[in-house]
Amino acid sequence: MSAATAINRVMMAAFAAFLVSVPWSVPALINSFWVSVIAEILIWSLFAASVNLLFGYVGLLSFGQALYFGFGMYGVAIGISDLGLSFWPAFGLGIVASMAMALVTGIFAVRLTWHYFAIITVVFSLIFYFLALSNKWLTGGDDGINFTLPPTFTFGGTKWALTDPTFQYFFILTTVALCFWLMHRLIGSPLGKAFLAIRDNDVRASLIGLNVYLLRLIAFVLAGFLAGVAGALFAFFGRYASATYMFYQVSGEGVVWAIVGGAGTLFGPIIGTTLFIVIREVVSTHWEHHSLIVGLMAILVVILAPKGLVGLWRAALEHFDQDRASKPVSQTLRVEP
Amino acid sequence: MTTPVLETRNLTRRFGGLTAVDNLSLTLPGGKLHAIIGPNGAGKTTLFNLVSGLLRPNAGQVLFRGRDITGLPAHEISRLGIKRTLQVKSVFAQLTVAENLWITFEGSNRFLHPFRDAASDPAARERVSRTLEQIGLTALARRQAGTLSYGDVALLEIGMALISDPQLLLLDEPTCGMSPAETERAVAKIREMARTIDIIIIEHDMPVVFGIADAITVMAQGAILASGNAKEISEDERVREAYLGRPEDEDYVEEAVNA
Repeated sequence: MSAATAINRVMMAAFAAFLVSVPWSVPALINSFWVSVIAEILIWSLFAASVNLLFGYVGLLSFGQALYFGFGMYGVAIGISDLGLSFWPAFGLGIVASMAMALVTGIFAVRLTWHYFAIITVVFSLIFYFLALSNKWLTGGDDGINFTLPPTFTFGGTKWALTDPTFQYFFILTTVALCFWLMHRLIGSPLGKAFLAIRDNDVRASLIGLNVYLLRLIAFVLAGFLAGVAGALFAFFGRYASATYMFYQVSGEGVVWAIVGGAGTLFGPIIGTTLFIVIREVVSTHWEHHSLIVGLMAILVVILAPKGLVGLWRAALEHFDQDRASKPVSQTLRVEP
Repeated sequence: MTTPVLETRNLTRRFGGLTAVDNLSLTLPGGKLHAIIGPNGAGKTTLFNLVSGLLRPNAGQVLFRGRDITGLPAHEISRLGIKRTLQVKSVFAQLTVAENLWITFEGSNRFLHPFRDAASDPAARERVSRTLEQIGLTALARRQAGTLSYGDVALLEIGMALISDPQLLLLDEPTCGMSPAETERAVAKIREMARTIDIIIIEHDMPVVFGIADAITVMAQGAILASGNAKEISEDERVREAYLGRPEDEDYVEEAVNA
């Protein structure tokens, strides 16, 4: 094991320990408001991961992931307030709705690549944004839908619900961690390698027998799944759903978070999302133009660190390893950490 | 009579006003190393694109072992066993050498497992390491393909052709841009493959073509100009005119002398 791998493992363990300790350590160190900020960061990291799955691993830049996030939110909210569903069926409805929407739009979108693909994803999300705004009877329009949380688990007389902040935090952490673990498995799998091949060279990929269209569609639906889970969690977290979260500005934020953090790396979206939400929370109370900082940082990273902050970190570690003159590590087939 | 390995019937492909492949009927019997030569713009690569499914013809048919494959998508044609390389060397630049071979091996699978570890398939792993030895790139297995030298990329391309178990292999200028030593190595590999696989090769390097091809087809302006063995082709007057452009060159020489 090289020093770089060791450093990464120690940092991962520390990061995991921190996440588990948040409900106690953060109120003690800062205040309890930051517990919910961290929960929000976890949810939006998952959203950025959905952009990253498409852009970083398949080479498709989507500016419309907010659509599937919005469908996840509305699936939960409509399920609970209109259909009277309990917690899990509503969660399921949100995820299925966003995946179904990704399938329907994906059938058209993944025929295209590059800027054409980016444009069609924006167009789809705008269409449904305006539909959601105008169909007030279903979506509540600008005001959105507020709902009362049903309990998550009921055992006899005891109930666990997201109204308990600690339970809510761990519910979000577990769900997000599970999704990232699934994505980790996916990246190292035969399907994941096929995605990478398509990202690198789609013509060549078709010549070795890969069905490029079908594989892109699968990736698009899987990205819809990630965005849908994020949207459903965010609906539970805020106890409401609103069309404003389907706007393309939300999609754009996901793209910036993923790229600044490092597209094509598992942890990039987490780093990028954390950075920008912390900046927003800290700076926005003092200065209303905090998005200027966001823009400036995004430009700097794109110019100076094409593989994002995670890419910078990896380069630094590699340098460190070479300085120690250690031999290159033997690895099995490369698996993104 | 056995069915020819590849047959085209009145194949035509137009790009706007240009007819790149013009009513081309070609029959290639199996068991031979076939070369297609011709001046730039003769339609050689377009023909490969039509056979491999990257382009659809405007008219005509492509038959592979008697089966009509006209208009099938590229991945389905690839799964039938027709594999090809591209004129501009093209591998998966951000994957390692081993991963390039691995994905090519798995590429024809209809089912790609979404959650199992890619490195866990022993058959694939064994095959990748055997192919690495065959092409002599074992030492570079973990290198990113994008960082390889040009000659090594060409070898990797040949490795990818080998590992995909082709029945018909289309090589588009495989030695283009290679050093003489690399060309020699590549030619030896191609000859070796030709013993078990049907190969069609597009090549500009005349010594290479005349050295390895059993049969040569000369194309000009989208149609067949001549076909035969190396000796017949090199003595064909029309081929000299169209391809080698001898008279024009002599004109230039005369002009230069008279100037």
